[in-house]
Amino acid sequence: MALLEVKEAGFGYGKNNILENINFQMNAGEVICLIGPNGSGKTTLLDCIMGILPLMKGNIFLHGKNISDLRAKEIARIISYVPQIHKKTFPYTVEEIVLMGRASHVGMFGSPDREDVTIAHDAIEIVGIKNLLHRPYTELSGGEGQLVMIARALAQQSSIMIMDEPTTHLDFQNSLTVLEVTRQLAKKRNLSIILATHYLNHAFYFENNGLNTFTAILDKRSFAIFGRPNEVITKDNISKIFKIDCKIIDYDSEEIKKQKYIIPIKLSERKEHLVDV
Amino acid sequence: MQKFLSTLRLKKNSIILFFIILLPFIGIFFSLFIGRYPLSWSDIITVFKAAVNSQATQDFPDIYNTVVWKIRLPRAILGAMVGGSLAISGAAFQGLFRNPLVSSGILGVSSGASFGAVLAIILYGQNYMVYFYAFGFALLAVAMSFFIGQIYHSTPTITLVLGGVVVSSIFSALVSFAKFVADPFEKLPSITFWLMGSLATSQYKDILFSIMPISIGVIGLIALRWQINVLSMGDKEAQALGINNILTKIIMVLCASLATAGAISVSGNIGWVGLVMPHIGRMMVGNDNRILIPASFFLGAFFMIVVDNLSRSLIGAEIPLGILTALIGGPFFVYLLKKTKGKGW
Repeated sequence: MALLEVKEAGFGYGKNNILENINFQMNAGEVICLIGPNGSGKTTLLDCIMGILPLMKGNIFLHGKNISDLRAKEIARIISYVPQIHKKTFPYTVEEIVLMGRASHVGMFGSPDREDVTIAHDAIEIVGIKNLLHRPYTELSGGEGQLVMIARALAQQSSIMIMDEPTTHLDFQNSLTVLEVTRQLAKKRNLSIILATHYLNHAFYFENNGLNTFTAILDKRSFAIFGRPNEVITKDNISKIFKIDCKIIDYDSEEIKKQKYIIPIKLSERKEHLVDV
Repeated sequence: MQKFLSTLRLKKNSIILFFIILLPFIGIFFSLFIGRYPLSWSDIITVFKAAVNSQATQDFPDIYNTVVWKIRLPRAILGAMVGGSLAISGAAFQGLFRNPLVSSGILGVSSGASFGAVLAIILYGQNYMVYFYAFGFALLAVAMSFFIGQIYHSTPTITLVLGGVVVSSIFSALVSFAKFVADPFEKLPSITFWLMGSLATSQYKDILFSIMPISIGVIGLIALRWQINVLSMGDKEAQALGINNILTKIIMVLCASLATAGAISVSGNIGWVGLVMPHIGRMMVGNDNRILIPASFFLGAFFMIVVDNLSRSLIGAEIPLGILTALIGGPFFVYLLKKTKGKGW
């Protein structure tokens, strides 16, 4: 039985369809990079998978159970979430934030116990931010903040982690840190990752590093493409969906030979409003 | 080491909380010594002794007993209950709405209660009906805010706040209208006085009236205090973390409203406490609602006792509480802000 199964899923607001006929399956330790142009419905699809938005058509199954029959608490024990932008309000400490990852394991009128604190501390240690334990998270940099969100998701002890554009606002070093932490979680803890991103290279990154990776490209309300990055991220496919010319190159690093990388080159059609200089 | 440090930290805040919890009891005790009736401290000690030792013959006038046990004590207890309720609801609402500028009146509780009280004063004069009307309209106002908030989708926080704003302004307008038509010699003074808040007429029956809603509300909020942490992450994240958003919010709003309505229906409108006490709490014990929520209750209780003692001893007449809370609380808040350099902010 698949860990996650999405069957003919559709969603829309009123007559305005956003998603149609989405199908895929996911097993433990797999990474799915969800890619799509702006406004293609990536976040909407993630919200449906987390049960935050109810599907209009089709079904989503977690461990074979229909998500519409599960309570928020039950879903949260299977799926954790790393938000794209976290709107910070009160200056909670990193420890207090990560402890909130335990919410699905604590009763409505309860508070986290000793064991929850231990689990939260372990999560903080795993993502490598032990030195930030008592810092107010409002004072952290973007990269550190994202690691706190990952630690919180980890404290949920779920089998799937959903990440919505986790590197969008980060510099080179921090985005690589986030990617490496994510990769290690998938590899060592067999965590399944759904990662919405604008960067096709993220798909190559996980595949290059030997993870069981799939790329899903959302276009015009459904998956235009679903498959292994090295099979589906091709010049032709990318040019068709994103209307750009690109080049896919091979390169070797010290540890891993034959890694792939995609470089965007130019728009395939000249846009009218771009004036000749 | 880290683990040790963090338990140490929680411990440090718990110790501060312990002292905060003691404050209102100390406040109530000293309130018995303060008042207009000329009782010396030794008189009061004799009254205490007589209360402890019932066999002893009473060698002081009965009025001493009345002043200490029937006037000063219920007033101090009620003040503590009222201040605590306003502060704890304010802290809860600030967490729920993720907005530090929100107070216990955000969903229209205060303006609903005001209108109820004013209506009762016009209809029946100043009697016990004021409590029932104030309490009833306070809850009605919250219910209205809640339903307005639900018109658009489920219960997104922002529409809930908007609902509160709409309902508040409707009831404020109604209060103004009632004041406009009220008898200016007989009714208007009591209306104005009620709107500024007072504990002057406190008796044990006021405590009896408000103890049920206040205890349910306060105990509920204390039970939910950690969930408030999670809810302050916002609707989407809270749900992704496994919180039943709608149910938790409904219970929270209900508890906070019960406590606030129970308080202001006996005390009249008292501003400021529900907004500022939670912030003072944050500066002292940090943002974790597990400690902040109970701390807010006891800080609010202590603050109200102090303010009420000043209200009845500063000048010849009683100064309405709503005036003093702001006049004392304002500068004190600025002082704390300077002293802690906005720690926790």
